[in-house]
Amino acid sequence: MSSSLMRVNNLKKSFGGVKAVDIDNLIFNKNELTSIIGPNGAGKTTLFDLISGFQEEDSGEIFYQEKNITKSQPHKIARLGMVRTFQLTKVFDRMTVLENLMFAGSNISNDSLFQSIIQFPKQKNYENSLEEEALRVMKDLNIEQMSNAYARELSGGQKKLLELGRSIIRKPDVLLLDEPLAGVNPKLTEEILEIIEKLSNDGITILMVEHNIEAVMKISERVIVLAEGSLIADGLPQEVRENKKVIEAYLGGGDE
Amino acid sequence: MKLSVKWIVTVVLTSFSIYMVFALNPEGQLRILFNVLTFAGIYGLAAIGLNVHFGLTGLLNFGHASFMGVGAYVTLLLIPHAAGREGQITETGLPFLLALVIGILSASLFGLLLGLPAIRLRGDYLAIVTIAAAEIFRLLVRDLESVTGGVYGIINFSDSLQKYRPNFIETFVSKYDLNAGQIWVGFLSWVSIFFVLLLLKRLNSSPWGRALRAVREDEDAVRALGKNAVWLKLQSFMLGAGIAGLAGVFLAFNYGSLQTTLFVPLLTFYVWAIMILGGVGSLSGPVFGSVIFWVIISETDRLAALIFENANGQQLAGVRFVLVGLLIMILMIFRPSGLLGKKEELLLNVK
Repeated sequence: MSSSLMRVNNLKKSFGGVKAVDIDNLIFNKNELTSIIGPNGAGKTTLFDLISGFQEEDSGEIFYQEKNITKSQPHKIARLGMVRTFQLTKVFDRMTVLENLMFAGSNISNDSLFQSIIQFPKQKNYENSLEEEALRVMKDLNIEQMSNAYARELSGGQKKLLELGRSIIRKPDVLLLDEPLAGVNPKLTEEILEIIEKLSNDGITILMVEHNIEAVMKISERVIVLAEGSLIADGLPQEVRENKKVIEAYLGGGDE
Repeated sequence: MKLSVKWIVTVVLTSFSIYMVFALNPEGQLRILFNVLTFAGIYGLAAIGLNVHFGLTGLLNFGHASFMGVGAYVTLLLIPHAAGREGQITETGLPFLLALVIGILSASLFGLLLGLPAIRLRGDYLAIVTIAAAEIFRLLVRDLESVTGGVYGIINFSDSLQKYRPNFIETFVSKYDLNAGQIWVGFLSWVSIFFVLLLLKRLNSSPWGRALRAVREDEDAVRALGKNAVWLKLQSFMLGAGIAGLAGVFLAFNYGSLQTTLFVPLLTFYVWAIMILGGVGSLSGPVFGSVIFWVIISETDRLAALIFENANGQQLAGVRFVLVGLLIMILMIFRPSGLLGKKEELLLNVK
């Protein structure tokens, strides 16, 4: 079932002499739920930024489905089916939850100025189906009662849900989740974990950066550990948990 | 449209402003009123264009005067006119409507050319680049005398537009001793406002308008969702610039001559004040803001003369700017979203 979906070769990025990412070779498999963990400053988010095109690497290459996306712009990478979320949630504050989702789901031709001036009936139909889709996503995420609220009125956890929903409505092949559980209460954490597992079961490849180790170990099929930009461990959750290097660098000695 | 407090307040304030024109002027009231309304229409149109940039898309454009200038210069140079030191006459030219369309498209194109390198900049950096570009435009126009007439400007172009003046304006004007040429320009600017607002209302509630607002809120998120934020911003820049170009043409016809000094940064700041007054992000707000603004600009010296009995004309002229400043300060304190802006979408966050 596992086959290579994305490949990273000799990827290097530093900020003013500080090595942020330095990875020789890393392959992500299709349909796998992979978590990336590591101490603060290990380069996890930078790795996401490089993959999703938000930062430019110093050297190295990234292949997605055998296509070289190294120098691609973020929106072009997203159009290939790889959608990311952000560590600090980026919802559209002064738009309603419904608008947030409908904008995310809308395709390029629907968004065009020409279409919006002429407004063919088929655009109306498309918008209606988009609204239905958005309502369905809201229902799945249990935020349908917030439909007409401005996004900035949501709680931190709800914003995380909305960002997740915005990614889902794009029907991605790959989801890059940057700390989807940060600042989320325990009950909502459970809900979000269930959603992520469900997405994974639906065939979406998920890469997740997360500090909640318990959650990571529970749902991940594979765990990658970064420290100071380099890969120090890669394997099944159980293997990683017992890895001496990982315990030293991240998990801490006397935890268990 | 739902009748709400802010609409009532806006209509009352606008009516009161117009009433002040009658109250403060013993004679020539209608003439003054139509002068004010013509300026209000032209500047209101420009403010609507600026609102596309800032209100809908969040682009800090401080070079609005240059878009108005490009529209005006291109249009006037294409129709019969006289320009330069010797008043060199160009008798042949395009029909007005064709020249106008080219003028508007040129303003849009100028927006695109300026936007291509600059639009990737964020917030205040874009403001710096646009204000500099506007000054470069003005100085270029001033110094390219052979093309643009330089400091001597362009004159004798009004006929191209005035020959289309319909009869009902003549009959109206003859009753009240008014300036027919100005009434025609004012009439056209208000008609333009009507159609531009119709277009923008349609666009604002469309997927395209939604995409612009998303860009305004968070560009990175827009890109992460597979949308080309730069292209959306460029489209917005071009649309707003085109509207400004149209306003620039009317401004030139209202004066009857075109001078480079018209396009100093002050013009941009007037348009900004009007937009803030009317409500950033509100489509029709700038129209009301513009009427109130122009009544203040045109009538405060009369008001001040009543208060400061011994002041001379020059001193009184300064009072209007104090009043405009005061008004904006009061507005920012009590209603930072402007007359018709939505409180929930407050766009001028004073952080």
